[in-house]
Amino acid sequence: MKCGVRFCGGCNPRYDRGKAFQRLQEHFKDRMEFSVAEEGVLYDLLLVIGGCTACCASHSQFTFKKMLYKMWDESHTEKIIDGLEKEVSEI
Amino acid sequence: MLMTGAQYIESLRKLNTRVYMFGEKVDNFVDHPMIRPSINCVAVTYDLAHDPQYADLMTVKSSLTGKTINRFGHLHQSADDLRKKVKMQRLCGQKTASCFQRCVGMDAFNAVFSTTYETDKKYGTEYHARFKKYLEMVQENDWTVDGAMTDPKGDRSKAPSAQEDKDLFLRIVEKNDKGIVVRGAKCHQTGCINSHEHIVMPTQTMTEADKEYAVCFAVPSDVEGLFMIYGRQSCDTRKKEPNADIDLGNKEYGGQEALVVFDNVFVPWERVFMCEEYDFSGMLVERFAGYHRQSYGGCKVGVGDVIIGAAALAADYNGANKASHVKDKLIEMTHLNETLYCCGIACSAEGYPTEAGNYQIDLLLANVCKQNVTRFPYEIVRLAEDIAGGLMVTMPSAVDFKSDTPVLKDGGTIGDVCQKYFKASPVASTEDRQRILRFLENICLGSSAVGYRTESMHGAGSPQAQRIMIARQGNIEGKKALAKAIAGIK
Repeated sequence: MKCGVRFCGGCNPRYDRGKAFQRLQEHFKDRMEFSVAEEGVLYDLLLVIGGCTACCASHSQFTFKKMLYKMWDESHTEKIIDGLEKEVSEI
Repeated sequence: MLMTGAQYIESLRKLNTRVYMFGEKVDNFVDHPMIRPSINCVAVTYDLAHDPQYADLMTVKSSLTGKTINRFGHLHQSADDLRKKVKMQRLCGQKTASCFQRCVGMDAFNAVFSTTYETDKKYGTEYHARFKKYLEMVQENDWTVDGAMTDPKGDRSKAPSAQEDKDLFLRIVEKNDKGIVVRGAKCHQTGCINSHEHIVMPTQTMTEADKEYAVCFAVPSDVEGLFMIYGRQSCDTRKKEPNADIDLGNKEYGGQEALVVFDNVFVPWERVFMCEEYDFSGMLVERFAGYHRQSYGGCKVGVGDVIIGAAALAADYNGANKASHVKDKLIEMTHLNETLYCCGIACSAEGYPTEAGNYQIDLLLANVCKQNVTRFPYEIVRLAEDIAGGLMVTMPSAVDFKSDTPVLKDGGTIGDVCQKYFKASPVASTEDRQRILRFLENICLGSSAVGYRTESMHGAGSPQAQRIMIARQGNIEGKKALAKAIAGIK
């Protein structure tokens, strides 16, 4: 399953967005293919990782088949994991 | 093309930029120890554009070509673009704790773009099309461009044409079928030596008598007749000391200003964007200044973030972090810093489209933003100095901390003495304490104070310039009407 990832620009993140993403990658290891979102690529899922409540990353330029996930706080990581687990289990 | 930081630095080597310092020509300015930190700083604006964690702020689709470009070369297409500009500046300030110098060019692009459109509409000139072509070239090559506005100005009581020396404001000295020849200088030019190009704009609203001074154009940094004299900074020669490291406070990054001299420089017509249309000089100045006053609500906030962090670390290292007054001072610093950010975001959120299509900030709010910037950074560094303690300016040199010269009766060295007497909380080594105190010294009153303090005061216009704009935009009559209505005055 392909998941495109878009970070916000990181002007004043309230947590380490890179570490949160790393945690997701480690959790799903070979079960999910994460990559930095690129235009013109069709993803199954799109994950936007914001650094604060504004979660202002642009993402309308990216295409995906199933679901858009957004997180803007470290505490959201578990919810994202749960959501992505469901997506993986539905394959 | 998005250059990397390394490619940017190499691109500077290819220019024959003429730089002078301490009365001599600098043959290799790129590797000069006093200049290089400011080049590293600009390089960060290139490297961040390649990092997916920052790309949303650092890159954008060009409105001219549709290609992905560095945001520093962008024409703002929406209020969201204006907000992202401020956020990008905060990010760059956080990563460098310095003035990263690339904003002036971006602010010039947007001001010249909209002003040339309206000039052409009135006069049937072709400046806008020329400028678009020029900007496409800037975006394609990912150039850093100096936005040059401030003239030396001479006797402030006299208009440009009334000056004893006519060159004290940059002016057109010749026009021919191929272009114009200009003479004069631009002062305080941030990042000018590190720029590939310079966009020159008038310094103030001009009248018909001063129309030869109403000129806007672009030239390469190594154009014939152009040279720069480096502006020295407080404590700058520390950078020339052997093994300079800890005592620099910020070894990697710094800002830069210089005097740019135009000694009868020829500018071809395709690079001229205003030539004697004096009635548009005020519009260009006001728009550039407006954007640049917005900029300070981002860049200085990013630097402020680092200063607050450094002050908090100094408190930790001194063992004073639990004192309630220290906690309160950190709160106050944060409050001041975020207030500046609020201003930067507010003037962006209230942005509006110009006739040319790019977005302009709200002028009143941008001037309020910059007015606060002339004050709050001074209070932030005052509080940082308060928290740090006097040691930030009385500490022996880094060499002393490593000296093996015996001074004690038992054979102990200068280094031993320094390590013994400057050790504080066990949470940090003496060296880490040295490092954070030197960082604060540098930003509060060393070479980086140029960017954080005096640039906050005078950059993008001195405080009175903002007060004039606030007076013009403040709508006092409207406020009187409100008061009359509430008070029942007919």
